[in-house]
Amino acid sequence: MISKKNARLGALAAVIVFASTTAVLLARQLNLGPVRPAPAFRAFGPAAAPIQIYEYTDLACPACRYAAGALEEMLKIYGAGIRLDFKHYPLKNIHPWSMDAAAYADCAGEQGKFKDYAALLFESQEKWAQAKDKPAEFEAFARQLNLDWGKMQACSVAVETLKRVKLDMAEGDVKGVSATPTFFVNGKRAVGGGQLLEQAKKFDILLKGSR
Amino acid sequence: MNEKTGLKEIFGLLARLAVGGVFVYSGVIKALASPEEFAYAIESYKVIGAAPALWAAYVVPWVELYAGLLLAAGVFTRWSGLFTGAMLVFFELLLAQALLRGLPVTSCGCFGAAGSNSLAHEFLQNLVFLALLWPALFLGRGLSADALVEEE
Repeated sequence: MISKKNARLGALAAVIVFASTTAVLLARQLNLGPVRPAPAFRAFGPAAAPIQIYEYTDLACPACRYAAGALEEMLKIYGAGIRLDFKHYPLKNIHPWSMDAAAYADCAGEQGKFKDYAALLFESQEKWAQAKDKPAEFEAFARQLNLDWGKMQACSVAVETLKRVKLDMAEGDVKGVSATPTFFVNGKRAVGGGQLLEQAKKFDILLKGSR
Repeated sequence: MNEKTGLKEIFGLLARLAVGGVFVYSGVIKALASPEEFAYAIESYKVIGAAPALWAAYVVPWVELYAGLLLAAGVFTRWSGLFTGAMLVFFELLLAQALLRGLPVTSCGCFGAAGSNSLAHEFLQNLVFLALLWPALFLGRGLSADALVEEE
């Protein structure tokens, strides 16, 4: 038979387990978990900038293309005040080539041209995003930017490249990302370019506060 | 409680808080991150495959968290301490086989993505925690939930 003492301790253990589980799950929802920094080629601005933006994006998503333009403007306006970490979140079920695009963009990044390659992919999204066969744009853009296409092909199927993209996606899942683009601006969630622009209205205050 | 006993009790409590605290930190930091991240670290030890590594990555952080909390609070101190010790021994075996095989483990998976020391460093660190388990288990029982419940 369970003694009174053990029953009390068992109840206390149950309370500890329940409370800690709830606290951790809540912390996940509130985005309090650690975030892996993006690789250097897709991180822009000083690491200690007062405005920290994590962007979960799908290169094949039209809303992400719009938001990319807005972000580019923000980087120009606020300069060193912003740090942007670009994270891949390809929605493979609706954009069949989004995973490949993410991998190729990272491989372009390894050759120093992530931003240029991603910009070309965004610009011509309508041509390749829903293509039946493997889009020729992946190679054409690599050649246009004088990238080593042979290296890019090998890199795009390398375990390390795919692992990096998949970890971004897994991290997005834990943070409750379900639509692209999703941004976390100093930890606060914004879904889509509109919500990002709303948050941008407070950037001046944030920058003043950091001085 | 005389002064000597009091010091022993406090040392035991500190040891329990240190070992339990490390387990809580390690568990929380991994439970907050994606399990896939920890799974990749487990895979790099080349002991189990990708699928069981992912299952382990789902379970281990929570087990670490609960074991650490129970030990720190002194709930079922002997059992939570022995369980924590068994986990530490298991981690030591994993680290030792990786060291002996010269595996290129870049992230030990000990504290998620928060950073990783060398395997040898982690091995020695775990030995210190194993040593601290002795005072955690045999001293400081007076300052635990077990003792509180017994007094009532």
